Amino acid sequence: MKKFLKCFPVKLWILLFALLVLTFFSNDFGLVDIQKTALVLAAGIDRDEDGFRLTAQIAVPKGTDRTTGGTSSVEIDGRGSTVSECISDLYARTGWVPKLIYCDLVVLGESAAEKDVFDCLDAFLRNEYMPDSCLLAACAGSAGELLSSTSAIDDTSALALEKLFSDAAEQAGQVMTTTLREFAIGYFGESRSGYMPYVRAQAQEGSDQGQGGSQSGGQSMASPKTEEKIYSARETAIFSDGVLVGILSPEETFAFSLLKGNVYAGTFSVDGTSYLVLRDRGDIRVTASASPAFSLFVDCTVQHYGESHTSAPEQLVKGTLSRQEEEAVSARLTQSLQALWTSCTQAECDLLFFRRSLRRASPAVYAAWKDLPLSALPVTVQARVRSLR
Amino acid sequence: MKPSSRQICFFLAAVAPVGKLVLMPAQLAADAGNDLLFPVLAQLVLQAALIFCVLLLARHDCTVFALVRRAAGDVAARIFAVLLAAFLLFFAFLPVVEQKITVRSIFYDTIPAHLVFAPFFLFSAYLSARALGSLGRVWDILAPLSAVGMAGVLLLSVGNADFGALAPFGAAGTGGFIDGIRRTCCWFCDSALLLAMIGLFPYRKGLAWKGTLCYLGGGLALLFFLAVFYGVFGEIAVLQTPAFARVSAFFSAATVLGRIDYLFIFALAFVMTFYVVLPVQEAVGTLAEAFGGASLLPPLLSVGCNALLFAAVSLLNLSPSQTISTITGTLFWIFPLFSAVLPLVLLALFGRRQREKIS
Repeated sequence: MKKFLKCFPVKLWILLFALLVLTFFSNDFGLVDIQKTALVLAAGIDRDEDGFRLTAQIAVPKGTDRTTGGTSSVEIDGRGSTVSECISDLYARTGWVPKLIYCDLVVLGESAAEKDVFDCLDAFLRNEYMPDSCLLAACAGSAGELLSSTSAIDDTSALALEKLFSDAAEQAGQVMTTTLREFAIGYFGESRSGYMPYVRAQAQEGSDQGQGGSQSGGQSMASPKTEEKIYSARETAIFSDGVLVGILSPEETFAFSLLKGNVYAGTFSVDGTSYLVLRDRGDIRVTASASPAFSLFVDCTVQHYGESHTSAPEQLVKGTLSRQEEEAVSARLTQSLQALWTSCTQAECDLLFFRRSLRRASPAVYAAWKDLPLSALPVTVQARVRSLR
Repeated sequence: MKPSSRQICFFLAAVAPVGKLVLMPAQLAADAGNDLLFPVLAQLVLQAALIFCVLLLARHDCTVFALVRRAAGDVAARIFAVLLAAFLLFFAFLPVVEQKITVRSIFYDTIPAHLVFAPFFLFSAYLSARALGSLGRVWDILAPLSAVGMAGVLLLSVGNADFGALAPFGAAGTGGFIDGIRRTCCWFCDSALLLAMIGLFPYRKGLAWKGTLCYLGGGLALLFFLAVFYGVFGEIAVLQTPAFARVSAFFSAATVLGRIDYLFIFALAFVMTFYVVLPVQEAVGTLAEAFGGASLLPPLLSVGCNALLFAAVSLLNLSPSQTISTITGTLFWIFPLFSAVLPLVLLALFGRRQREKIS
């Protein structure tokens, strides 16, 4: 006992400091008061005459019975001359402290993308609690309306949109996703260019016959049915100096994806036949000896995936392409790559980071050729498609 | 119990590099751009050489205070001790600010109250009151934590790094290189930290070489971290503080598994806490040795030093950029005085004993 008492002060010290360390290394003890906190799932930004309108899609608690699973949300608008002011406005109007740490998606409306988008994205970049890994997207029309729309596939539109931006969708070449970090690096780099998926919402045919009761906005089953939407992000918005300067078609988006070497198990169709990409290697190369030259090269291995006519079982089991087919498919992909390059040159958008490559080659080469218009750049475009053997 | 040679090596290899992972990478990116590795490489080589010198001084088996007292007498040694302690406290200020930034950024999801960081000073006061000899066991625990934390963070972030962003070498020019060195002086004071510890650990044969190599080994890990950091963030690297907590956030499986990188980040943050306290502990130890006597002196000095730091951090709470800029820019020259000039002068005075072979 005496011994114990003798060492007690030391143990007390240890206990005390263990508690202090615990305090130090814990945050707010996990006590997030959901009644006072707005967990922002996604943010939509539009410009108006006074500045910006930020639509925050906020997760709200939902019933726990089996019929109402999933995430429910409510959309609240904040207005202000800056995005930060919009966030403060949200707080002032709702009493909810907006937490951006769970915000995985920022959608820019048409009006926001008309001018330099970093007017608004800057707020997210400098916010230390906003993850730079959040996805960016541009949309047709208003971002607020897009987030407020009722998705046919999920109670919360942001979650439905994020499904479009999954890794699987990206590998399929259907969408070119980008994060705040990647877009910012492109914007602040020598090329001052970037891209993000372009989202369109379409009314789901027969949606009034479908599952009833939109939960978004916390509406009850008895409320009048709203039009359900499905979203598409197969187009890609391209930006130069932060301004939306063009939209790549789905074919150009697929070609862009191939160039980036992203595609695995993606499909595309040529003349009524579908092909599955099994291997994709893209190469964007700049050579700057006497004068700069640019080459875009795609090498992929494909197999038959579907045909618009009936084939014999022997043909089905092989899935191989004839030499003529390889050439025809190569020509089609080359055409898509060429169209991609044309879109970039027409918009003077250095999407493929020509100027960045020059800079990385050497400062002298960069200084000599950085002002060369993309349209004046000699480009070699080639796609080589090989059949699965 | 005195720290052993192994524990000193653990400190140099695994604990010392951790103190450079918060603000320094972004600061370097601002000054040297894509050439951020070169100033650090220069600093590492210089520090390694200085650490070699300091470890040679450790052969005397007496503290730096005792060395100065032997050469210049009591009064001069006490003045020296006060100056050294003042420097160590000054050196501790930036790591404390960094620790505060780390806590605010990674342990909270909205800006917490200023006082939330106050418990750190209680912890620091406790640790600083303890004898420096207890550090050996601490480093035994911290070294594997640091190694695992660093390896985890690097593993989860290297896949997102575009190492092409480091090209072209030399783009920042001599100006960028010099600025990079100047601005990072405040982080490369490991020789001064070690100097305040000599005499507290026994010198074993070959420790000078082993310690230097261990420091260079840790430095290589730091260089790799910086390369990954710039590869991940490129042009926006200047915005990324605390660097070690940002770099692994883009791990592709994070969307499925959550931020598992926090496990490694917490490990590094834990190690960092002890690294931040070390200069305060050394300042208290130096002063206690110089003005020793009462057994209550170390706790009182510890409380005083930590109160001073707390007051400084609180006062400068609203001017972080200016404070950091003043320390890294205007007052940068103070650091080499104690981390380079002082060890070299001491080595010149008390260097190799006659007929002694460096082992």
